[in-house]
Amino acid sequence: MNWSDIWVLYRRELRSAFRDRTIVMNGILVPVFMYPIMMWVMMTGLMFVLGQMDRESSRLVILDPPPEHSALLDTLGAQTNLEIQEDVISEDSAMVLLRAGDLDALVEFRPPTDESSALEDNFQVLIRYDRAVNRSSQASARVESAIADYRSEWLTQQAAALGIPETDREQFRIVQDNVSTEEDIGTLLMGFMIPMFLVIMIAMGCLMPAIDSTAGERERSTWETLMTVSASRLSVVTSKYFYVATLGILAGVLNVVAMFASMGVIMGPLLMDLGESANAFQFSLPLLALPVMIVAAIALALFFAAAMMILAAFARTFKDGQAMVGPVFLLAMMPILMGDQTDQTLTPLTAAIPVANAAMMIRDAINGVFLWPLIAETLAVLLAMVTACLLIARVLLKTEDFILLSPDGRFSKFSKIFKSSSRSRLGRNSSEGLK
Amino acid sequence: MAIANVKVEGLQKSFWDESRGEVRAVDGIDFDCQPGEVFGLLGANGAGKTTTLRMLATILKPTGGSASLNGYDVLADPEAVRRSLGFYSASTALYPRLTGRETLEFFARINGYPANQVAQRVEELIDRFGIREYAGARVGKLSSGMKQKISIARTIVHDPPILIFDEPTVGLDVMAALEMQNVVHELRDEGKVIIFSTHIMSEAEKLCDRIGIIHQGRILALGTLEEHRQATGKHYLEDVFVHEVMQAEDQSAKAMASPGEPRTSL
Repeated sequence: MNWSDIWVLYRRELRSAFRDRTIVMNGILVPVFMYPIMMWVMMTGLMFVLGQMDRESSRLVILDPPPEHSALLDTLGAQTNLEIQEDVISEDSAMVLLRAGDLDALVEFRPPTDESSALEDNFQVLIRYDRAVNRSSQASARVESAIADYRSEWLTQQAAALGIPETDREQFRIVQDNVSTEEDIGTLLMGFMIPMFLVIMIAMGCLMPAIDSTAGERERSTWETLMTVSASRLSVVTSKYFYVATLGILAGVLNVVAMFASMGVIMGPLLMDLGESANAFQFSLPLLALPVMIVAAIALALFFAAAMMILAAFARTFKDGQAMVGPVFLLAMMPILMGDQTDQTLTPLTAAIPVANAAMMIRDAINGVFLWPLIAETLAVLLAMVTACLLIARVLLKTEDFILLSPDGRFSKFSKIFKSSSRSRLGRNSSEGLK
Repeated sequence: MAIANVKVEGLQKSFWDESRGEVRAVDGIDFDCQPGEVFGLLGANGAGKTTTLRMLATILKPTGGSASLNGYDVLADPEAVRRSLGFYSASTALYPRLTGRETLEFFARINGYPANQVAQRVEELIDRFGIREYAGARVGKLSSGMKQKISIARTIVHDPPILIFDEPTVGLDVMAALEMQNVVHELRDEGKVIIFSTHIMSEAEKLCDRIGIIHQGRILALGTLEEHRQATGKHYLEDVFVHEVMQAEDQSAKAMASPGEPRTSL
């Protein structure tokens, strides 16, 4: 292996790659602009949906409103998002309308039961709605909220009239106190998003270069040209491997940088639009997290590059290559399966699951958890996978059928030829391979 | 006596085919080539020309015999062989996203041309092949004629003493094919060893100093055009070729009919 040759080949690969629209799109533009665009789309979409829901009025029928509580009826009538339909006067006809979707909620006032009749003018309310219809559920929630507010105020007045202190009336109150800081919330969000997107971005960064440098060479007929240069086969493959891994790492690093940049710049103003404080989330990382994340990203890129190149190298065309690399890309989805378990840390078992282990290692680092023996296990597992891939590549490089792709990219056919040619011991140096 | 820059002795290549079993694509070929000579391999499609040339270029590994180029054995020192060699074929395409100039620089460097002379060499070839106008354009955007010129320049950019042209005029129009032939002439005059494979008789007649007629992996006859004419009594190379092939087919049929008899070599 000649490092000078590898450098020349590596530069050639990078130069070509940065002129390829698909590679630049997947390896640079998507990782950089994914977060801002995704956040903008998500937040704008959320605001749009919320806006639509707010604008949509709830159609109500109110039956038997107690005359002593006319103020409640006035309160409901005054709400702009409630539309009381007064022409419906029976429960049956209201239920027909509700089931047909022409009514959102039926509010029936009923006399109090024996237990609740201690208070004069007390009442019960039955809200009928269709839970399968969003608009109906929203109507129920609006009415419930309005009546609960009115009732609380009315009970306070009644208690005061009877000389009962407010604390005696309430007996106990449930108070929730969120002790998490803005930083904690930010960390939770990052722990969920970064591992997932980082893994996907690294896989995406490796995907096109892996196919381009193997199946792409064959499709363009540059493979044979490359096989005639004086550099060794090992140098050619090593340069390609470094190139694919480089683009994977680049995509990952750009993605993390873009995420941090966009969190503050995009998320803050959008949260304010939603009525939240711009500082509702604060994003900061433990100092040690960054190098751990970088190491994980490098290990992941090395693994994805090796696995994807091995599979894509069997393909004769770019399209075949995409189909062959598909299973590896699915591996990148592993963190999504573990996405909602944000409070779990690496265990000896999870550290043995490739890709998912790196995602959890990154999540732990974001949370300030550094389980060094398990981090070592994670890296050892990933590097073992890389070594396995490289050993397979070494065997493949010694096989002419692979170099010339005589089995037309079919694994089954290739394995038959490989076995047959090994059995027949063709040639005097069949075990030596091409240098 | 000139030094034999290419020496091929009993070269063999067998493949394993799923349906046919072991197939001998090249079956004991011998020839050698001298500097300043165009050696032609003339044969029909599937005769074994490309397999032979791929073995010389170390893309394939011989299963028997030996071959050395510029004194380097194809099995023992394939990298040195490739450094001494320029290989051109219809299936050796260029990188579409590199410019012509970048292409030449890349192939010069990767084939070990002295780094401090690469730029000068590239400019020299750009002038020689008249590609200055589009040397800065990406290869993928060029016409096939322009690509062909860059491809030839790519083949010789590291100034190799041996050049292999595997059916270089396939798919080219008349003018481009003529241009290719002119380049081959020039390179021969520069003292290069040139191995040229073709199935086009007129091309072989016009270009090759010596011609090896290859059929079913074996060289049936080898010599200058005049020697072929004298040996067969035929004037046109096409007739010579048909004569040699028919004779080989007859012998093969006889050998099949009486399997006990030993095969005669030509």
